[in-house]
Amino acid sequence: MCVGLAAKVVGIKNGMAVIDASGARREVSAELLQDLEPGDYVMVHAGIAIAKITDDDEDETDELMEML
Amino acid sequence: MEKTKKTAKELIQDYDGPHLRIMEVCGTHTHEIFRLGIRKLLPPQVELISGPGCPVCVTPVGYIDEAVMLALEHQAVICTFGDLIRVPGTKMSLSEARAKGARLQVVYTPLDAVVYAEEHPDTQVVFLAVGFETTTPSACLAVKKAMEKGLKNFSLLVANKTMPNAYQALKGSADAFLYPGHVHAITGTKDCKKMEEEGVSGVVAGFTARELLTALAVTLEKFKEGKPFFVNCYPRVVTDAGNPSAQALIDEVMEPCDSEWRGLGVIPGSGQKLKKEYASCDARMKFNLPKIEGRSNPACRCGDVLQGKCRPSDCKVFGKGCTPQHPIGACMVSNEGACSAYYQYGLEE
Repeated sequence: MCVGLAAKVVGIKNGMAVIDASGARREVSAELLQDLEPGDYVMVHAGIAIAKITDDDEDETDELMEML
Repeated sequence: MEKTKKTAKELIQDYDGPHLRIMEVCGTHTHEIFRLGIRKLLPPQVELISGPGCPVCVTPVGYIDEAVMLALEHQAVICTFGDLIRVPGTKMSLSEARAKGARLQVVYTPLDAVVYAEEHPDTQVVFLAVGFETTTPSACLAVKKAMEKGLKNFSLLVANKTMPNAYQALKGSADAFLYPGHVHAITGTKDCKKMEEEGVSGVVAGFTARELLTALAVTLEKFKEGKPFFVNCYPRVVTDAGNPSAQALIDEVMEPCDSEWRGLGVIPGSGQKLKKEYASCDARMKFNLPKIEGRSNPACRCGDVLQGKCRPSDCKVFGKGCTPQHPIGACMVSNEGACSAYYQYGLEE
């Protein structure tokens, strides 16, 4: 239930976003994120985009490891 | 010559600090750590224990009884996430109720339940709203859309929960917490920082192999320093502020209430209920449901598992009377449940 789906936004219309998750497309609500544009990556939960994904996990973890 | 820095995997394998217990609050973390084989990298003094972060697992038996009553006595169509269907109630699960005539619709999102209600105006439709801050916004959005459309046949059976007071209840259960990444994508990091100020350590963790290894390596290195810490190890999704629009939506539609957690009992202020402006979508009020006290199977130790007091394999019925095919407790039903993870990946432990 709480498993998130990382997906790419391929279209926005009337508060809904068409997302592409590894080739599978579906419509989800984009009402809770501002300034969402095609090409953005989002985390989707229960049919709603809840957060923008701002980086890939490689760069993210490299920066964290630098801190140690 | 510059010393080569260790990788996260090496930091974990070479950890030589004191014994520590790390609680995976989120059930998906439990499953991914098993699935990726990360447990096999841990030195003996590092113990991972499962927490209460599987919404199906902490939903009390009485909630299933309410859903069964709505389906069988009020002939409501129950729309639900799929993993609730096989959770045992006092007398039966929703799956068993279906054999007695209950009508169930598995949906991906509560917004699909609103569409179903719109397409079936002569049928009462109840969505089973369980979950944490991650899923609560979708239930709130569904209620708002149903009211905007003027639907009189849509309601929620609400059992949504919030994590901050559960964290407080779990203080002392572990030396450090792996906080659930997607809860904090909504709420931000303020609750984790408050915990640090109160002497409780933890990191927000993501879900890929790199992210989980890094979160564990950061936890071990910081723990060796001997003082409380908090690090956001999932910054590509979790910001300090979280998602303000989602927070505002929850505040608009829901308000805090006391809530029963399977295994943890009633935690004050840890639940959500619809505000009075949205009471027409409250299934308990709409159908005048009585207060139901559910009874779980006394052999089941889900409650202890959810508090990290025992491992799933310490339960007498684990893998014998209780299997994913024939679950006795909720933790064996859900794909995020600790018992399900141990059964699927860790029977040897």
